[in-house]
Amino acid sequence: MTSRILVVDDDTALAEMIGIVLETEGFDAVFCADGAEALTTWRDSEPDLILLDLMLPGMDGIEICTRVRAESGVPIIMLTARSDAEDVVAGLEAGADDYIVKPFNPKELVARIRTRLRPAVAVQPEAMHIGDLVVDVSGHEVRRGAEAIPLTPLEFDLLVALASKPQQVFSREALLEQVWGYHYKADTRLVNVHVQRLRAKIEADPDNPRIITTVRGVGYRAGKTR
Amino acid sequence: MLRMPHVAAPPRTAVRLRTWRDWRAWPDNLAQLWRRSLRFRTVLVALALTALTILVACISMALAIQNNLFNSRRDQVLADSRRAADTAQTTLDDAVVQSDPVQMQNLLNSVVSSLAQQSSTDRIAVIRINTTPSQLAPQGSHTDGLDPDLISPELRRHVQGSTNADTQWWQSVGLPSGNGRVTPGIVVGQQLVMPDVGPYELYLAFDLQVASQTLSFVQATLWIVGTALVLLIAAISWFVLRSVTTPIREAADTSAELAAGNLDVRLAVHGDDELATLGRSFNAMADSIQAQIKELGDLSLVQQRFVSDVSHELRTPLTTIKLASDMLNDHRGEFDPAMSRSAELLHAQVQRFEVLLTDLLEISRYDAGSVQLELEPTSLAHLAEDVIGSMSQLAEQFGADLRLVAPGGYSPVDMDPRRIRRIVRNLLGNAIEHGEGRPIVVTVDSNQQAVAIGVRDFGLGMAPEDSERVFDRFWRADPSRKRTIGGTGLGLSISLGDAHLHGGTLTVWSQVGRGTNFVLTLPRPGQAFDGRSPIPTDPGDEGSFENLGVTQPIVLPKTGSES
Repeated sequence: MTSRILVVDDDTALAEMIGIVLETEGFDAVFCADGAEALTTWRDSEPDLILLDLMLPGMDGIEICTRVRAESGVPIIMLTARSDAEDVVAGLEAGADDYIVKPFNPKELVARIRTRLRPAVAVQPEAMHIGDLVVDVSGHEVRRGAEAIPLTPLEFDLLVALASKPQQVFSREALLEQVWGYHYKADTRLVNVHVQRLRAKIEADPDNPRIITTVRGVGYRAGKTR
Repeated sequence: MLRMPHVAAPPRTAVRLRTWRDWRAWPDNLAQLWRRSLRFRTVLVALALTALTILVACISMALAIQNNLFNSRRDQVLADSRRAADTAQTTLDDAVVQSDPVQMQNLLNSVVSSLAQQSSTDRIAVIRINTTPSQLAPQGSHTDGLDPDLISPELRRHVQGSTNADTQWWQSVGLPSGNGRVTPGIVVGQQLVMPDVGPYELYLAFDLQVASQTLSFVQATLWIVGTALVLLIAAISWFVLRSVTTPIREAADTSAELAAGNLDVRLAVHGDDELATLGRSFNAMADSIQAQIKELGDLSLVQQRFVSDVSHELRTPLTTIKLASDMLNDHRGEFDPAMSRSAELLHAQVQRFEVLLTDLLEISRYDAGSVQLELEPTSLAHLAEDVIGSMSQLAEQFGADLRLVAPGGYSPVDMDPRRIRRIVRNLLGNAIEHGEGRPIVVTVDSNQQAVAIGVRDFGLGMAPEDSERVFDRFWRADPSRKRTIGGTGLGLSISLGDAHLHGGTLTVWSQVGRGTNFVLTLPRPGQAFDGRSPIPTDPGDEGSFENLGVTQPIVLPKTGSES
């Protein structure tokens, strides 16, 4: 089954070029050039991933990101012309899984897309216990008691990565490689922002986390299984 | 209009009191006041001049009064004594004496007592001029108040030698008063003719006690009034000057505050006088400066916005071009040779363009001052090791051997590792390119203040006029030299900018034939850095890599052991 990718970018030349690259790589591309129509197009086309330009007419990319996240965990990769701190952090906090800075090359783009589309890593235990959570790996579901906690695929991957080796400290670089697929030094803010988002969903008190704890100067680790 | 805010400055008077308490500092303090206080100086000058004027006036007035008092008293004394002498002479002329010495003596005594009554003085002396002894003539007589010894010989000579019995002679003398003191006085002398026995000298002495007291009183009054006048004038000029210097001082304080960067301060303007004009001009100047600074600030903001917009606007089409050229390049095997080469060239030049754009944007970010460091504790030695590892393949292509000598610099220091890595990569790239395939020595060391990394090649080196310009934008040492590693000509400018952002330095040493040495020095946070690097910029070796004493690459302990 070919994955469908929604390209939201007002620059039609770039969108078309991205489309050519994606189709060459065997993806199915859908386009939207207007921020105001992005949500409608997204609901109609039900893509497997969204490539989202941050500067758009009609509706701001960050706003789109927030609204999509409110309804779905579909992977979102931001396309940004600026590597300036505020834009990137704002996008990640709005729920984007990853970002890619223009100008990028096709291989980089395809690698980022494939990482986000790949099926969850097969882990030996089908169900893991971490804190008071139950992680059903094959069912892609996290429950606290009877209550299911909705996570985006990325957040799920992050939780599984941490929970698969309880008590082991993961450096940010290791998490970038395992969850985001970066094999070189990348932006560690990706990890920080997404750990915050994950904590907001799974921790009883996000300001005083017990399930995913920070090890100062090193990285993160998941708490004891129960 | 804003009044000058009186912020919590240290109370000036308290400071003054402290410095004035130490009397040894007074000369210095006074000299300082003279130099720095217009009011003090002006008041002091006014005081001195007024005091001098009043002193001269008082002295001349005192002298005139003294003179006048003396003259009038003298005239009065002379008149008194003449009247008394005339009366006495008349008495003597009318007396009938029968050549009886006793009667003669009695006559003289009565004349003396009448003289005393007439002339209102009891200091009287009568001395016979003719010294020939005579039975009849009394020898003379004097009262207690006037000892004949007090009368000077000159006066006596004048009186004795007088041909006219009416002529008066006078002289100032000091008269003994009752309690042993001497009071100023006048002795008036003239002749008195006794019937039958001839002329006598008559002396009447008058003291000037009263006139003298009057004079003292007048003089004392004069001095008191003069001193009071001087003080009064000093006080008046102090207050008058205050109304001038206070606004001036206020203006000076306000300008200082304006110069310190508080652009909102203004002077309070009252009225229409010169000071008000000064205040208005000052405020107009401040308004103009503020407006210009605001304009410049706005321009800078516009510039930053422009850079940011250019960034976005250029990057989007560049992305399309890049994607397209990559596609073409990937499929160049399917083209004929000319097309294939075109695709290859396009691809390479698009990459070069991208690097150039990135560097240009980075530079304009420095110019706009919008770069922020992302500091994290990093071991410079391990960072150098990393970069050497990533560059070893390139070095191998050039036949250069990369060596690391790291006696220090292992413990983590706060720095932006991305930027420092970029600097080291840039320096190494340059060294590899210009190193003529000879070994390249990377040195890392540290001291209490700073950590430093030096990159030394033993290539051709540069002439001094060239090495001075290596940090200039788009500058190339030898324009004709073939560039093998694509560089934009901005690398060292960016490296220098990064070094300065860290508060550090990037220095270069180079000599033709001996190679080049770049040293990057980063101060440790919170340490006073005097610019001295743990690694000297001038390596001081003989320019030959054989006698470095380092022939084997040094194996570093692995990361993480000492953080």
